[in-house]
Amino acid sequence: MTSIPLRAIAYTLIKELMLTFLLLLGVSFIIFAILYAAPGDQFNILLEGQLPTEAARAGIRDAMGVAQSWYGQYFSWLLGVLSGNFGTSVRTGLPVAGELINVSLNTLYLTLGSMVVTLLFAIPVALYSCVRGHVVAVGWSLTMLGYIISALPVFWLGYIAIYISIHVFGIFPLVSMGNPSQSNAWLSTLVPILVLGLGSGTLSEVIRSLREELSRVMAEDYVRTARAKGASVWRHAFKEGMLIPVTEIIAAKIPFILGGAVIVEQIFNWPGMGRMAWQAAQDRDFSVIMGITLVAATFVRLGSLLQRIICTAVNPHQANE
Amino acid sequence: MKQLSVVLLLAMSLFSTVAGVAQAAESSKTVRPKGGVLNYGEYGRPATLDPITSNEMISMRISELIFNGLVGINERQDVVPELALSWEVSPDNRIYTFKLRKDVTWHPRAGETPVRFTANDVIFTYNIMMNPKTITPLKVRFEFIEKVEKLDEFTVRFTLKRPVLNALAKFSFKIIPRHALKNPLYLTRDDPFVQHPIGTGPYMLKTITADREIVMVANEKYFKGRPNIDQFIAKPFADQNILTQALTFNAIDMIVLVNPRSIAELQGDKRFILQPYNALSYSFFGYNLRNPLLADKRVRQAFGYALNRQEMLSSFFNNQGTIISGPFAPGSWAYNLDVQPLPYSPQKAIALLNEAGFKKGADGIMQKDGRKLELTLLVPIEKESEAVKRVVLAFQNYLKNIGASVKVEFKEWQAWKEDVFADHRFDIVFASWVFDDSADISSLFHSAEIGPWKNNFGGYSNPEVDSLIVESKLTLDHEKRRTINRKLHAMLAEEAPYTFLWTLTNYSAYHKKIQHVAIHPYKFFSYADEWYIPVSEQKK
Amino acid sequence: MKKYTQTSGEIGDFSQLPIWQKYAWVDLLYVSYGLLIVALVLVSYMFGMLHWLPYDPQQINMDMLMAPPFSQGYWLGTDFMGRDIQSRLIMGIQAYFLPGLLAVSISLLAGVMLGILSGYLGGKIETVITYITNLIDSFPRLVLILLVVAAFKPDIYYIMMVMGITGIPAVATAIANKIRFLAQKNFIEAAIALGLRTRAIILKHILWYNCRALLIIQATLGMGEAILLETSLSYLGFGVQEPVASWGNMVQSGANYFLQGNFWPSTAPALAILFTILGFNLLGDGLNNILEDRRGR
Repeated sequence: MTSIPLRAIAYTLIKELMLTFLLLLGVSFIIFAILYAAPGDQFNILLEGQLPTEAARAGIRDAMGVAQSWYGQYFSWLLGVLSGNFGTSVRTGLPVAGELINVSLNTLYLTLGSMVVTLLFAIPVALYSCVRGHVVAVGWSLTMLGYIISALPVFWLGYIAIYISIHVFGIFPLVSMGNPSQSNAWLSTLVPILVLGLGSGTLSEVIRSLREELSRVMAEDYVRTARAKGASVWRHAFKEGMLIPVTEIIAAKIPFILGGAVIVEQIFNWPGMGRMAWQAAQDRDFSVIMGITLVAATFVRLGSLLQRIICTAVNPHQANE
Repeated sequence: MKQLSVVLLLAMSLFSTVAGVAQAAESSKTVRPKGGVLNYGEYGRPATLDPITSNEMISMRISELIFNGLVGINERQDVVPELALSWEVSPDNRIYTFKLRKDVTWHPRAGETPVRFTANDVIFTYNIMMNPKTITPLKVRFEFIEKVEKLDEFTVRFTLKRPVLNALAKFSFKIIPRHALKNPLYLTRDDPFVQHPIGTGPYMLKTITADREIVMVANEKYFKGRPNIDQFIAKPFADQNILTQALTFNAIDMIVLVNPRSIAELQGDKRFILQPYNALSYSFFGYNLRNPLLADKRVRQAFGYALNRQEMLSSFFNNQGTIISGPFAPGSWAYNLDVQPLPYSPQKAIALLNEAGFKKGADGIMQKDGRKLELTLLVPIEKESEAVKRVVLAFQNYLKNIGASVKVEFKEWQAWKEDVFADHRFDIVFASWVFDDSADISSLFHSAEIGPWKNNFGGYSNPEVDSLIVESKLTLDHEKRRTINRKLHAMLAEEAPYTFLWTLTNYSAYHKKIQHVAIHPYKFFSYADEWYIPVSEQKK
Repeated sequence: MKKYTQTSGEIGDFSQLPIWQKYAWVDLLYVSYGLLIVALVLVSYMFGMLHWLPYDPQQINMDMLMAPPFSQGYWLGTDFMGRDIQSRLIMGIQAYFLPGLLAVSISLLAGVMLGILSGYLGGKIETVITYITNLIDSFPRLVLILLVVAAFKPDIYYIMMVMGITGIPAVATAIANKIRFLAQKNFIEAAIALGLRTRAIILKHILWYNCRALLIIQATLGMGEAILLETSLSYLGFGVQEPVASWGNMVQSGANYFLQGNFWPSTAPALAILFTILGFNLLGDGLNNILEDRRGR
């Protein structure tokens, strides 16, 4: 990398940002449509513990305002979001925006951590089984191990992890983020990160596609030439065979990992978006669900944005096509 | 377990006693050490923390720590003074006058001088509660009150629409401060108060952490004296298996309600005390009498005989419960012990079905006039409800043995409620009723309660039962009412609009370092200010 | 890192014959294991259809709750209702078979169509299709399914439909990329120059010759994902509902007793999931390698 192609990056950035905006619009609209089409009343949660008689419902209508038409509801939500107001949760009455910041940071920590775990496992294994293909025993058994772990139900893997932590290591891997007094608190956050990083079906796919990409690049003419010249294959194959596929896979796997986070957060009591989403989906808590999916989609788009930028930086011609 | 609640109440004081109170309440408070932290595990995050808008048990338990009522209920189920010092009742039982304490202050907010509790707060609370825009399950419980007046700064007078048996206990509703609400007319969840309430109770809300752990600290100025334990921390758990593990690993000190499947595990552990407390609830299979197959009493009775309730109770609930025979919770004054629960007798069940005109078809299913005895059992979906699954699957199996085919259908909670209460699209439901204070069953079986969003979802109608219910409600004489209710019990057991199953014993599990634990049947923390942790155990 | 720079000589040996032989052997092993699993699944599916089972999978035995394996004729033990785990495992395939196929066919059919449209035609259509695939990809999959299922109905077909839709982008992108790659190598121009009809080019030369490995991989992965997804939903309470058996709800109900030291009721279905998914994945890998003939080159 001699110089970073700033103009190409700026161009990509602008294009991607516009696309991201359009996509977020689409995402919010689809989620809204699902919620709107679903049977049942979004204020039912308020009537839990009593029978929703006509009088009680009338009280709700009085207090919460009469429901608007669907487009009215959607556009007033949209206008709110554009001005930073994500609405309030029906269940708790709290503004969604503040809650979202808390939980999304926690989830970000969980997902980024687990991505690192995935890559720390997958990259060496893929390299090993690709570059040093004839050392079958090590590469093969590691690949198999990866396949096996990611073929297990993630919550069951979580239970095993908890069982092992308790009975073998004598630690209780529950996160208490609000309680930093424990000196080894970060240690217990490792367990859910490991479970999400190794489980939930991502690992095997990452290994597979990395290996595919690597062997494809290895077979490319310029790598062969380099190899014939006795030059460092590693340096030549790095960009095409490593950097781009790795970023591509990470970007593609974000929605999966966010999904897996729903489960892992439940088990390990992780105060994140997934747990909140589960609760909100049951309560039909419109603003919370819309907020969470919007943030999740933003994560996904940010991942893809980053990937495009790296791509452009490595290979500026692509962007100008 | 998701439960339905019956919101009409009778008297608290006549109800079953709290089990397992270790010491007498009078033992002197001074010997008890102060200090320590109690972490307790909860089933989830409470939606709101105030006593008005909250509609689930988690919030209710917390508001028990933060707030007080005019009167309280002590461990022996007597009505005792709390915010009220004393009271007078008019001879016609319609006017209740309360003299309030003058030494009570509200929890101070930062930088605020403590505000005194006065009669205005009582009137304010009542008005907030009854405002149509306030959404609260409490409203229907206080419709018997006609008006409330302030006589002076520390005296209030309630006038009832009609005399009500044991009305006094109902004045245990929690009082909220007039000065702390944003909107002086009604309370919605938008009000910051619902998340950061202040009360008069033994504990003050300190913070809610990012993961919604709720930290409460001792109220130094509590009018009954500073509570013993320094801090109560409610920790929300999303997975009940993990909750139990957290207790055994000392990550928490107490579980308010132990999942039935974990009871055996905790029973064997000497570090913990499993304390039973009576849940005012029972489980049942309810029948939709609109279905002609179920309109026949003999069919419903046959189902009752077909179930081996003892087997279910011992296999699924570790025998922690009581089999019941009728519509009242056992131990209540209304419960008729002379009525025996139906024995397990498939032969009798088959005989009853035959009597009702059913013959076994070639496929082993009973039929009558070409119509097969095929029914749908509607069950609400719930995470980790394998106890519920076990009961309904066993039910299906028992009925298969007598030739009735039951299709089990799981539905999401809201959809289930809609199907059962609004549209009546079901044949059988499995559910539990939770009684707030007592066993007022009038809304469950009176024919006037048939209709959308009414409690008599099965459409049971019987003029004799109706008149007994009305008679029971009108009488103010306790003995007379008891006789009527006993008659009602026998009649409903015979009529079998429900197959009555059992009342499960609830268990709280806690580390044995916590002393003098008494538990209120459903409010749970009513006596928590007297709990204590010995000094030697206060450090973790 | 050091090793890679030092061993360029060995990398030169990359395509030597002995390695090729070794790999082919591994690939054959993968494929035969995968086929074995597929055969087992098919046979079990048939057995389930015909009710050739050791026990009635719904038959409750209250005296034998959670019996360990090999007890009293229950080869694999019993679950939390005393039902035979072996019979329920066999019946559990019913829960996935057709719904899983539905999910896979939705992703493959729609994915192939969108992929061809965008890769072959390009231009505005490509932009629109890229938007659609990006849109689908922007949802966290489990949250979307959870929402649909909680809002409408906990039904395996609903779950699988949403899953099929969320699988479209992967297929579409892969196909489009392949076509673009072929176009870059002037493959399509050459085909047109040879006078081949568009339909033949697309169906035969693009899809069959160049994309079959990719499609097989996607299909096998899709089946595996369907199973894991249902399992996750079961944990959240919205998977296949009792009394119908699915491997997911078996693991879930068994896992409630896992931390109490009662491992078997959840381990048996978890192992079934493991072996099956492993089978699907290895089948895909092996077929891919053999079909692409990559390792021979």
